Amino acid sequence: MKSRFNLLHFSAIAILEIVIFFLVMIFLNIESVWTLIFLLLAVVGVVIFAKIYRPQFESMTRFFSDNRPTVLGILIVLLFLFPLISPLMIRQNTYWLLVLVQAGIYIILALGLNIQLGSTGLLNLAVAAFYGIGGYTAGLLSLRLGAPSIITLPLAGIGAALFGMLLYVPLYKTKGHYMALVTLAFGYMVVLALDNTEFTGGPQGLMAIPELKFFGYSFLTKPGGLHFYTNYYYFVLVFVLLAIVISYCFYNSWVGLTLATIRDDEIAAKCCGVNSHVWKGISFVTGNVMIGFAGAIYAHMIGFISPPNFHFGESLLIVAMVLLGGLDNILGIIIGTLILSILPEKMRVITEYRILIYGILLIVIPMFRPGGLLPFKPRLYHSSVAEGEGKGRRNSDATQ
Amino acid sequence: MQHNKKRIFYSKNLEMNFGGLYALADINIDVYEKEAVGLIGPNGSGKTTFFNVITGVYKATGGAFYFMDKNLLGKEPYEIAKSGISRTYQSSRLCLDLSLLDNILIGMYNNQTAGYFSSLFNRRRLIAEVRRFKNRAVELLNIFNPELIDRMFRPVGELPQIDRRRVEICRAMAGRPKIILLDEPSAGMTPDETKELMEDIKKVRSTMEDVSIIVVEHDMSVISTVSERVIAINFGKEIARGTYEEVSNHPEVRKAYLGKEV
Repeated sequence: MKSRFNLLHFSAIAILEIVIFFLVMIFLNIESVWTLIFLLLAVVGVVIFAKIYRPQFESMTRFFSDNRPTVLGILIVLLFLFPLISPLMIRQNTYWLLVLVQAGIYIILALGLNIQLGSTGLLNLAVAAFYGIGGYTAGLLSLRLGAPSIITLPLAGIGAALFGMLLYVPLYKTKGHYMALVTLAFGYMVVLALDNTEFTGGPQGLMAIPELKFFGYSFLTKPGGLHFYTNYYYFVLVFVLLAIVISYCFYNSWVGLTLATIRDDEIAAKCCGVNSHVWKGISFVTGNVMIGFAGAIYAHMIGFISPPNFHFGESLLIVAMVLLGGLDNILGIIIGTLILSILPEKMRVITEYRILIYGILLIVIPMFRPGGLLPFKPRLYHSSVAEGEGKGRRNSDATQ
Repeated sequence: MQHNKKRIFYSKNLEMNFGGLYALADINIDVYEKEAVGLIGPNGSGKTTFFNVITGVYKATGGAFYFMDKNLLGKEPYEIAKSGISRTYQSSRLCLDLSLLDNILIGMYNNQTAGYFSSLFNRRRLIAEVRRFKNRAVELLNIFNPELIDRMFRPVGELPQIDRRRVEICRAMAGRPKIILLDEPSAGMTPDETKELMEDIKKVRSTMEDVSIIVVEHDMSVISTVSERVIAINFGKEIARGTYEEVSNHPEVRKAYLGKEV
């Protein structure tokens, strides 16, 4: 399995990724509607092409999955280089930097929700509420108590976890749709409470939340003349990578397996010795920690949060990201999140039709791909598990 | 004949009352180590309810049942599973989207040592454990159908009915339980498949020598080849017990199955 370093493969992947990288930057520059529509049609064309030439397409994807460390390594290097190159390439550089940071926050949110909804099947319609709890915890701690960022960020996660535990008490008695209803009600309660409490600033929300500051380095300083969003870009990028690693580790372990069994057949899981109430609670709280943490980053970056930011619509958006990308598929969720957070910004030029196209997308994609863009794949745990007897991996690559 | 063997499971006046309807009334069943007991009875006689009660899915309304001299009445399903009772289901309860390996691994849930935090901070230990458990899954699949080993990482939903049942049996065996409950293993099988399945159940006993089995079955050929002792129940009450010949010729049993005395 372990192949030696192959210069040819490495350079091929590097060139391809750099080309895609620059294409994406050109894409962000496009403003004409017709070019956008043309691009959309081109994407559809590529998908149809891939369907027709399936074997070739599969050998290509296998090439990438066999060289996964190289692909990911180069991608991460390019992502770290992005803020340095983008001022030269992109006209509205700061704006797109902000959009990307926001997309990164959404990825953390979606991966947090995925632990609940994708892995365990708990439909949490109060994502935005936990996002808000994280944001308000961080905001209140830094505004009222002057707590430093190194304390507000983890406490925001813990705050969301505590509220998650509180909500889990009535939640674990309910099942399926009723569970979704309880979270829905909780989401509304949180927004109403924030709206009507003096302490949290009422409908005005919290204003002038201080920026992130670590060891004397304020995130408002401009590193080497670049915009200060660059600080947040790197910060969010690191935590997105961390969230991906955590999700990957959970997925390829007993945790992921236990949660998936509970999702698919709770009685069977119980009769195998799984204490499903406890595990559902663990999953719910773990997801909320990630969601609350993302809320804290948002609050510090934007500096202003108010109840409408965390309304039900926001929860629906995050649920849509997970469903569109594919339940329990990390790569799929990242793609789904990027589509739903970057495409609407791109389509701002066609203002009034924007929401319409957005809605059509959400209706059409589940019709053709009910499992999401990338449905979940068999758990491999680790490449060494698939070695030796039972070479199912080869087999699985050939047929799917 | 049973006296030299240890009794590992028995129920005492076990009763299950669904709002006035007694699905089980006064059930006294005992199981000795290393034996296979057949449980028969017409539809609605309470066989599956009995399984659901002793695995904790339903909470019995009266009586008691003991496993290894411990009363398990009122215990949660996961506690009962931990003590060493595992089961299969009448209509398969596999996770069809998950791979064969996943479905068998979950059967070894109680044997795992790498928990929540190992999955993040001690991957090496986790992977070593998963590899060890995977080898056990390969061993188990090899007993029943070696072809399945190559499909280890494919979803169970792609398999035909008989192979699904085999995977379910593998899952039940994987955790090395003391008792395996087989709930109508031949349900939904063709006669040929049923024959294969009887061989499979014999293989279970030859590979796990100290396991006891309770089989619920409609297909009498399965009961007669697999079990050493048969208990017949009807309307939640025991009506006969003994060898297969004794029970199948018992007038009460014939009446229960055929509706009148013959």
